[in-house]
Amino acid sequence: MASRSELADFLANAERRAFKQAMFAVRNEDAALDIVQDSMMRLAEKYGDRPPAELPLLFQRILQNAIRDHYRRMRTRAGQVISLSSLEYEEDGADDPLETLPIDEDLQPFATPHAALLQTETLTLIEDALQNLAPRQREAFLLRYWEGLDIAETASVMGCSEGSVKTHCSRACQSLAVSLAAKGLRPKDSRHEH
Amino acid sequence: MNTEQRFAQPICQALDQGTCALDASITERLRAARERALARQYVLATETQIVGAGGTALLHGHEDERHPVRMLFAILALLLGFSLAYYWNGFSQADENEAIDSALLADDLPPKAYLDPGFQVWISHYAQASGR
Repeated sequence: MASRSELADFLANAERRAFKQAMFAVRNEDAALDIVQDSMMRLAEKYGDRPPAELPLLFQRILQNAIRDHYRRMRTRAGQVISLSSLEYEEDGADDPLETLPIDEDLQPFATPHAALLQTETLTLIEDALQNLAPRQREAFLLRYWEGLDIAETASVMGCSEGSVKTHCSRACQSLAVSLAAKGLRPKDSRHEH
Repeated sequence: MNTEQRFAQPICQALDQGTCALDASITERLRAARERALARQYVLATETQIVGAGGTALLHGHEDERHPVRMLFAILALLLGFSLAYYWNGFSQADENEAIDSALLADDLPPKAYLDPGFQVWISHYAQASGR
């Protein structure tokens, strides 16, 4: 069972990333804070007796469900008939604009990562690009690369197959690369640096 | 590290830096939310302990469930309780039988009369007649 201090440490470490994830998804500060608070409460109440190693995956599952619940509530409130699938990425959709984008197999980190990424302007560009991703792509990208979950864990949190996770991640990277390049942040092939 | 991971790494580093630059009002609200969540876990843990101390730990206390010595004591206490109840019930039954025997012996009617079928028939007729 996670002790109070272990749970406190975990939440203190995860809360800011959780808030940013919620913000990317719902684009509203109060709603994002509510989602994070509800997720933390639910984790403490229902899974407070679980071993500390299980907390990250459980918390992500709760957080992503809370975000999806928010989407559903918003859809109901708006009184619009929007299929939830319209918020998700069509895996085999032929009309996906990202489908037509070329994949650069030699994609490398940014030319001057430390210099560029330390700037607030760069961060804003990245956050904007992430915010503009399709929800499922963003979810997969953040879980897989920011939260550091493996493919199976990401699939479990997202409730989809591992193949779908790979597709979402691949398309998210592709879309981000294009979006950032359009704003002047061009990925550079590191082979040219040597 | 594959191509996607190499691409994602600096982006995630930037996002990490972004979490450090959150407004104080947001970090304060997150801290308050965390405290509320932790208080909830603390309350639940306390409730579990109280239930365990109340003697129903076998059913509700997760800690006690896993404690073999406590389990053994609880089972022994339960068996002792059953034995005492059975023993006490035996005494009560003996007292009751004794009272019936005394009443039969003290009565004017001899006990043999209760074994006579004719007497049984007479009693049933008498009961029917008094019922009218």
